[in-house]
Amino acid sequence: MLSSNKSLGYLAVLAAVFILIAFGLVLFYAPVEQNMGMVQKVFYFHVAAAWLGMLGFVVAAVCAVLYLRIGKLGLDAVAASSVEIGLLFTAIANFTGMIWARPVWNTWWTWDPRLTTMTIMAFTYIAYFLLRRGIDDPVKKARFGSIYLIVGFVTVPLTFFSARLLRTIHPTIFGGANTGEMAMTAEMYFTMGFSICAFSLLFVVLLLARSRLKISEQLLTEREMLEQEEEFGEVSGG
Amino acid sequence: MKNWFSTLKTLIWKDLLQEWRSKDMLTAMLAFAILSIFIFNYAMELDPRQRAELAPGILWVVVTFSGTLGLNRSFVAEQEQGSFDALVMAVPGLGSIWLAKQVSNFLMMLVLIIIVLPVYSLLYNQNLLVPGLIFTLMLGAWSFSAAGTLLASMTAQTRMRDLLLPVLLFPILMPVNMAVVKAGAGIMTGAALATYQVWLSLLLVYGIIMTTISLMVFDYVILE
Repeated sequence: MLSSNKSLGYLAVLAAVFILIAFGLVLFYAPVEQNMGMVQKVFYFHVAAAWLGMLGFVVAAVCAVLYLRIGKLGLDAVAASSVEIGLLFTAIANFTGMIWARPVWNTWWTWDPRLTTMTIMAFTYIAYFLLRRGIDDPVKKARFGSIYLIVGFVTVPLTFFSARLLRTIHPTIFGGANTGEMAMTAEMYFTMGFSICAFSLLFVVLLLARSRLKISEQLLTEREMLEQEEEFGEVSGG
Repeated sequence: MKNWFSTLKTLIWKDLLQEWRSKDMLTAMLAFAILSIFIFNYAMELDPRQRAELAPGILWVVVTFSGTLGLNRSFVAEQEQGSFDALVMAVPGLGSIWLAKQVSNFLMMLVLIIIVLPVYSLLYNQNLLVPGLIFTLMLGAWSFSAAGTLLASMTAQTRMRDLLLPVLLFPILMPVNMAVVKAGAGIMTGAALATYQVWLSLLLVYGIIMTTISLMVFDYVILE
């Protein structure tokens, strides 16, 4: 179902090249922002990482719905892998955000809706893994995991909405309000777009690799369970 | 439809009767709730001037924490006695099992709120028996038990059970927490309805969404 070792390898190399080019663009092509200086450069990876965080969770939720509909365990493997990757990049987005926020906002952390929502979303998905760990039966694990993903996916926008009602100081880049808006040049937009594309490619590579591993694990567990049953059958039969 | 309602009524009655006979859940919840109110007194050194604004928040923390204790127990009886399979076979629509549990958990939360409100009012010398606040807490309690009942039905079947429920439940409940606290503070400080109306709408929307999702996915929780 998923691509072969070789093509996955090529894709990984391609992703690496893209990420390197993105690095180059960020360092040498994109102009230095007037007010914030060099620290603003973290923004290109911050936005890309945050995008992957969201993407990971969207993909996972779609796979969860599909799993409950179709019941193929492979879909659950993709969902779980997607959450793992999403969680990793949410953490990266949070940390790069902190590096930026310290000089610009003069604090590591603030109770801004985006920060709060991203963190609560991360907690939702950490809980997802705890839930999975507590269940041995792979089918039940997949089913409960999918249900929790769906519930989590529905409540995250509500959390965002309610946090937004309280306050925001986070800069808005896309069609946002006037407050705290960053003026971006064409080079900056291009660098950001490129870096988002490069990260998305990385996401595809990671997702394919991780899902393959998980599917292999599932097959292994299945085989082990079958063998155990056979052994048990022989013992009780004999 | 009539059949469905009578099933629902029987199931709710069963849960309430069971609780009435043992009183395990309610006594533990109440004791915990009242103890927490005492702890808050020493933890926060509540200044009378700040109380009006803080009371709904404290109250909601007390109610959700003790409510979680109760939720943890809500599927244990079925699990321990192994009567869940029998229940699944006996009941025509699986959704009604969830709804019955949800309603009985909600009623349990209401009892808790009805007892905790006067106790808090008495201990802190501040009248919390305000219709608006009670209404907000009721809306919150419905959302809380809707999300909680669904998750408890899953955690009851895992290895970590009680440990797991709060970790799963609290991130999901974040909008409810914010809405109850904000709407409650608005009511207690006598703000205009327009300033906190949006929070009440949010509570209503959350309750409807969570109820719908639970009814939709509960089949997958119990089907083997």
